[in-house]
Amino acid sequence: MKFKDYYATLGVERSATQDEIKKAYRKLARKYHPDVSKLPDAEARFKDINEANEVLHDPEKRAAYDQMGSQYRAGQDFQPPPDWDAGFEFRGRGDDAGAAPDFDASDFFEALFGRQARQAGGRARAARQASGEDHHAKVLIDLEDAYRAAQRSIALRVPVVDPQGHVVLEERHLDVNIPKGIRAGQHLRLAGQGGPGFGGAPNGDLFLEIEFNPHPRYRVDGKDVYLDLPLAPWEAALGATVDVPTPEGEVQLTVPPGSAAGRKLRLKGKGIPSQPPGDLYAVLSIALPPADTPRAREAYAAMAKAFDGFHPRP
Amino acid sequence: MNSSIESVLAGPVVEEEIHLTLVELCHVCNVPEDQVRHWVGEGVLEPMGETPHEWRFAGASLRRTRVATRLARDFELNPPGVALALDLLDEIESLRAHLRRLAGGGVR
Repeated sequence: MKFKDYYATLGVERSATQDEIKKAYRKLARKYHPDVSKLPDAEARFKDINEANEVLHDPEKRAAYDQMGSQYRAGQDFQPPPDWDAGFEFRGRGDDAGAAPDFDASDFFEALFGRQARQAGGRARAARQASGEDHHAKVLIDLEDAYRAAQRSIALRVPVVDPQGHVVLEERHLDVNIPKGIRAGQHLRLAGQGGPGFGGAPNGDLFLEIEFNPHPRYRVDGKDVYLDLPLAPWEAALGATVDVPTPEGEVQLTVPPGSAAGRKLRLKGKGIPSQPPGDLYAVLSIALPPADTPRAREAYAAMAKAFDGFHPRP
Repeated sequence: MNSSIESVLAGPVVEEEIHLTLVELCHVCNVPEDQVRHWVGEGVLEPMGETPHEWRFAGASLRRTRVATRLARDFELNPPGVALALDLLDEIESLRAHLRRLAGGGVR
């Protein structure tokens, strides 16, 4: 396990006041919150920031961390010394109204603070009858899966409390039917696959949020799909019939004469096949053949002569 | 780490096939009822039906409520703040969609 420097994560001095820590946390949270930010590493960064704040905003945890942490540097190998937390009393996350229920702690955090807190929560819930929690997970599928129903195997890691009261990660494999026509951002509800119910109450449900893997060729907007379709200059000018690859296979598309770059040609109903189906748009671009042989240069020169009155910059 | 294998699962698409009651929405998103009432009052969520008892939330409310819950928690936003943030996020998303339609670069 590597030591984590929570002060460095928030970009504050070890001597920072609680106010300074809060301000630094808020500023970083606004930048990296996964619901707000589209930065590729936002989710991981936000997790680190949240964990650092979880420790530093709580005076008890911060004091314990400070006492142990002053000899260590970030990334250094680390094992918590025995009785490192002697003399500190933790209220535990269960009492802390501000604590994040989705909070996903690192091994480092778990080793220091995680166990007591998790167990306290588990015991409190088990005491009365309650239906199981609904769980949420994201699942990545290919755009093609939405065109024809598909079966996907997904692996979920779920923290569960074993009979000895320890929190262990259990890996669950689920085979899920992905229905035809599903779109990014939609959810599948799997009844009874969430957290266990207590005292005879039913299990919770599992909600799977669908996301598409990035596709080298297609862009998706809701149920509509876009692809770039490069044309030769003469195809764009004179019109042509060209093969267009759709996620369902090739179709023929008639490009009208005089098509400019950026023009969108619609293939009705060839988007994601929901009810009603989306459309597929071919966004035209014009590829210039290179003038790298004497013949090609002659052709361009002949073109220049033929279009004597053509002014591209009005 | 233990592991278990289960048979093939199928379920409805929430956004297309499901309407949620207030109680169901709160359970799914793990959020107190009066918080959702405040959000309805601000127009963050627009259920069908008159009284909270009769409210039926369209499936798309699930995602919106989850985002609202996280924003309210992580930034200590009050209901008008959540409403403003969600409106701005909607606007940014429609601008991003517009950019995606115009130019290349992956599915996002």
